[in-house]
Amino acid sequence: MEINALFTNLALGFSVALTLQNLFWCLVGAVIGTAIGVLPGVGPVATMALLLPATYFLPPEGALIMLAGIYYGAQYGGSTTAILVNLPGEASSVVTTLDGYQMARQGRAGPALAIAALGSFFAGTVATVAIAIAAPPLTKLAQQFAPADYFSLMTLGLVFAVVLARGSVLKAFGMIFLGMLLGLVGTDVNTGNTRFTFDISDLFDGIGFVPLVMGVFGIAEIMSNLTDPQRRDLVSSKVSGLMPTREDIKRSIAPILRGTTLGGLLGILPGGGAVLASFSAYTVEKRLSKTPEKFGTGMIEGVAAPESANNAAAQTSFIPMLTLGIPSNAVMAMMIGGMMIHGIIPGPQVMEQKPGLFWGMIASMWLGNMMLVILNLPLIGIWVRMLLVPYRLLAVAILFFCCIGVYSLNNSANEVLIIALFGVVGYLLMKLDCEPAPLLMGFLLGPMMEVYMRRAMLLSRGDPWVFLERPLSLTFLAIAALLMLFVILPTVRKARETAFQE
Amino acid sequence: MRIRGGQDLAAGSLFAAVGLAALWIGADYPRGTAQRPGTGVLPLILAWCLIGTGALLGLKAFLTDGAGLTRWAWRPVIMITLAAIAFALLVDRLGLVIAMLVSMTLAALGTPETRWREYTLFAAFMVVLGVGMFIYGLRMPIPMLPKELPGALSWK
Repeated sequence: MEINALFTNLALGFSVALTLQNLFWCLVGAVIGTAIGVLPGVGPVATMALLLPATYFLPPEGALIMLAGIYYGAQYGGSTTAILVNLPGEASSVVTTLDGYQMARQGRAGPALAIAALGSFFAGTVATVAIAIAAPPLTKLAQQFAPADYFSLMTLGLVFAVVLARGSVLKAFGMIFLGMLLGLVGTDVNTGNTRFTFDISDLFDGIGFVPLVMGVFGIAEIMSNLTDPQRRDLVSSKVSGLMPTREDIKRSIAPILRGTTLGGLLGILPGGGAVLASFSAYTVEKRLSKTPEKFGTGMIEGVAAPESANNAAAQTSFIPMLTLGIPSNAVMAMMIGGMMIHGIIPGPQVMEQKPGLFWGMIASMWLGNMMLVILNLPLIGIWVRMLLVPYRLLAVAILFFCCIGVYSLNNSANEVLIIALFGVVGYLLMKLDCEPAPLLMGFLLGPMMEVYMRRAMLLSRGDPWVFLERPLSLTFLAIAALLMLFVILPTVRKARETAFQE
Repeated sequence: MRIRGGQDLAAGSLFAAVGLAALWIGADYPRGTAQRPGTGVLPLILAWCLIGTGALLGLKAFLTDGAGLTRWAWRPVIMITLAAIAFALLVDRLGLVIAMLVSMTLAALGTPETRWREYTLFAAFMVVLGVGMFIYGLRMPIPMLPKELPGALSWK
């Protein structure tokens, strides 16, 4: 029964994804994703934000298939730059530079690239099946959620985002609160009162998601990238001998399997995603290896594991977004933005109301992964040549696309002023080492949490204990509290130790 | 007491300042009842959360060693901001071509690395691409060039 349902669902998905139109958008997404993945300083979040307005012109299936393609495409592209130029094209391929670039210097760029692509493809295939298996039961569970449960689940999601964020826990909390506050700007849907609008009519509908993201991710990134220009030393512009040896493949199988499993699991957690997955996979390989001291000198395991892990994580991070409607990282926030542009409210109802869209998107991921292997390996020369475009020109082009993209949303020049403002804000936050991703999650989840909080309070006739009385809600809050305890304790201890030393 | 983490102190002050401002602005938002929480409830909670986070960060800045503040790169920040503002102000009034040229040139001034001959060629390419994609391709209702110069210059 279950297996049959799985096949019927996937068949429906492929029937949607295999239409000529959707195949085309999948290819467009994969190509754009690879391109921005290859280019350092241009990330998937900013790119997706840039293209959100354009997706308005596409059918919803095509739009979401393309946006998804950008994300996992970027994971493929990022490894190319990491291996050939010793620069991470994406944050998730930072660890790939360690062994990948060394392999390239030894003239083994081809095998490194091939293993990265094949490992990613394997991980992508497994993750696609994992999504197809995990989604229906999770959706069923989510349908039993009461408003109080949703509220607590979102709280848990935010706590996870803080725990797994790099850097300071306190700053991540601050960024979440700040994001939630920004999300409240505008007219309160329940009462019709306006909040924090300063009587500016452009703010009555709230701060737009796209201008905020483009400011904080797009414009701020240009500013910081222009500050310290990178040098790009191509190890060689020609890559010969793509085929890995039998020895390479034998050594890579286990790391690919481990990377896929680890990445797939970490991807589901909110705040996790591809970056965390690749770091963890590399650490695990190094720890399990009989020759850990050789890592960093061109070990193929050090390429296979993190590259599989980041692709697996990139894909499983769709699970909470698709089933619960909760963004687990900044990219998923973009996907939710993409859905909302088409009037689709993310949540468990999507699978029932739009099965074609839901399963079509999942099926497209597998097709997209296949396209990426084809795109990346034989066409590697084209991607490498793209690295010759200097950032000083890219910056100008990105700035223009940000401006025109935001303008085209509502044909409103005032929204372009908002990206200027949030560009400076984003740069300031970057300077203070405050990660912008939690801000974005707070911005999206804040207003949702308010709605659920109000519904829960209304249903319970004003009794706040409702959040602790429902077993699901209690479980979520308990996990959140435990996680908090874990993070806070060592910090408190360390702070006290240093205080006592004085 | 000595400041040991300038970055933490600055971030903390920022959070606390935003929290205080939200408290101040949101002071007269209706609170509602427990059963029907009003407009002002979540802003109030968030404001105190921000103030609390800011205070803790501030405290941490004095108790533990942390990163200090680094220099701002004023040139790219100012020029890129100006570039976006210029685009916003010019696009409806003087059309896409002029808005693009002014804003892209401002952005190019944001880095000392700009090579002007290369930039000129690139800017021309971008204008052709922009006009082709957005005016002819997507048919966006933006003027390409100023309709009549005197009218456009009167800054309505």
